[in-house]
Amino acid sequence: VTAAERPRPVAIVAAGVATPLGLDLDTFWSALCTGVDGISTIERFRVDDLRVGRGGEIKKLRAPRHGRLPRCRASALLTLAADDLLARGALAADPARIAVVVGTALGGVEEGERAVAGGGPRVAASALYDAPAHALARRLAARGPVLTVSTACASGATAIGVGADLLATNAADVVVAGGYDVLCRFVLCGFDALRSLTRDRVRPFDRRRSGLLLGEAAALVLMMRDADAPRLRLGRVIGHASSSDGSHVAAPDPEGRGLVHAIEGALRAAGVGPDTIDLVSAHGTGTPLNDRIEAAVLHRVLGARASAVPVNAIKGALGHTMGAAATLEAIMCLLASRDGVVPGTAGYEEADPACALDVQAATRTARTRVSLSTSLGFGGCNAALVLEGTA
Amino acid sequence: VTRVLGVGLLTGWGAGVAALPEDARRAAGDRRVIVAATPAVDGERFRRATRECVLAVAAVDAALRDSGLDRAAITGPRTALVYVTAAAYGASNAQFIRAGTAGRARAEDRRSRAMGGGARSTERGGLYFPYTAPSAVPAEVAIEYGLTGGYVILVGGAAAGVDALWQASRLLADGRTEMALVLAVETFEECRDLWGRGRWTTPRPLVEAAACAVLAGHGGDLAYGPGDVAPLEMLAARHAGETLACAPLIALALARAAGLPRARVSGGWRGRRAQIAMAT
Repeated sequence: VTAAERPRPVAIVAAGVATPLGLDLDTFWSALCTGVDGISTIERFRVDDLRVGRGGEIKKLRAPRHGRLPRCRASALLTLAADDLLARGALAADPARIAVVVGTALGGVEEGERAVAGGGPRVAASALYDAPAHALARRLAARGPVLTVSTACASGATAIGVGADLLATNAADVVVAGGYDVLCRFVLCGFDALRSLTRDRVRPFDRRRSGLLLGEAAALVLMMRDADAPRLRLGRVIGHASSSDGSHVAAPDPEGRGLVHAIEGALRAAGVGPDTIDLVSAHGTGTPLNDRIEAAVLHRVLGARASAVPVNAIKGALGHTMGAAATLEAIMCLLASRDGVVPGTAGYEEADPACALDVQAATRTARTRVSLSTSLGFGGCNAALVLEGTA
Repeated sequence: VTRVLGVGLLTGWGAGVAALPEDARRAAGDRRVIVAATPAVDGERFRRATRECVLAVAAVDAALRDSGLDRAAITGPRTALVYVTAAAYGASNAQFIRAGTAGRARAEDRRSRAMGGGARSTERGGLYFPYTAPSAVPAEVAIEYGLTGGYVILVGGAAAGVDALWQASRLLADGRTEMALVLAVETFEECRDLWGRGRWTTPRPLVEAAACAVLAGHGGDLAYGPGDVAPLEMLAARHAGETLACAPLIALALARAAGLPRARVSGGWRGRRAQIAMAT
């Protein structure tokens, strides 16, 4: 990528979230920094017949500031995240130039369960994975491009990348991008059957890690071209890339080659070297395989600095929120830069010599300007974002 | 400008544009879904792959033949894969839902262990859970052809098909890839009842399809954005029927068959319209 070809950075003006740690950005951030545990016994649907019935469940949804909360839970979470986003940033553009790009691993699959059980035409239409994105666009009165990205658990990062591309090609002036997914029986049964869920707590990069727990969330960012964005912003996306493993439908490439390609592509696009990275927000699911592969990849890409750069994984605190995960992690990177703190990695107690990364359980102070956020998903999906904060 | 090197096409009507009827609606008669025959693909690896995965692999094969390329030309990190579908995950999702819950899985495990086997419940009704994700289809393609380049998966109808062409062109324009495959697959048969319930969503006949376009060039001059109905969109709908995300790729195939040097393709979905132009 030459300097002329390099995409221009895109500003992230504001963010909004709905998570098990809190239904707004400030609560989410303070919970993350103070070590609040968002994992609990799932109460919204039957779990007594599953091996693991815990996860990052949002116990109670609040009413949105305007209108009613949609019946579809995926749309409800997106509505709350959008509500939070709009309290922090305005959609100051012609509606025809406002785009919505939303990532999801599961779309409206909970509506799919209802449809299969005999739901009516409206339920059947809501079961399509792109239904929540279009519902969000209607709510925001956005009449520009509406894209649904589904690169599994990397969707939240890919969506931000696609949003940046829309701005770079002048296909939109404002992009609301992010991701969501809900906890439902469908996904819990699936991961339960795969034996990916842990009966212990989630322990990213810990020697005793034994699996993941799922969570639900929605996270959105408001993106604009750097030149058009207000001075007050969270930061910038300076590079992004995606890749496929071409190796296995469910498991990551054992050598992490796809993730290496994605990280190197994002760094190239950003025009920075690995020595510039001040913070890594790792995918860090807490499964033995993922964390080992990811650590090896970080050592390969960052070289000798891999053990010195602060690494954080938020999934110990709120579970793996699938389509929302990467967007939440990108937001975490920017807030860390703004406030000069790196949240502790919940569940991390004992270092794994096989990982040898600078992961800490406690929140620490650190000046982090440029962050790398990595994501992986079923289907050999990899995505990497290089973000620049305001530090 | 982005150049289309070739388009592979399989539909419920047969292989390629030559198999398309003059008037899909008339040819369908009172059939609501026109089912695509499952192609034969070699390899034990496809034993548990879903029908939509097999259709996808066959569409890529057809696209390579149309482009005059061999497999080696696309293998590796310099070829991007952009996959789009509105519906092709529906069959696997419905199968997984209908097959029951982990309660049944535990019973299966107990039975299996009692008979001296291991746990078997990663498969539900014969379906491996990761195949319920839309990403399973491009994953099988990436594995089959050794694709490790840029990777984007979009969900939506014909407008998303246009978006996929734009995304691939964008990857070319940025120098992030040298070649790009835009792949679309739509299957309806297994969820025929659900599509029947929501019949206000789409006109009939619903025609199953898998289409793949091989793109190269430097992107640019795409005229990507909202747009009215292009003549090629009407032509694709008339000949092929409703093929959702595959429709823009079928339009490109029709443009190539007609010898058009440049094609504007368009699509609509859920009230949104999109268009893009490329050299054919």
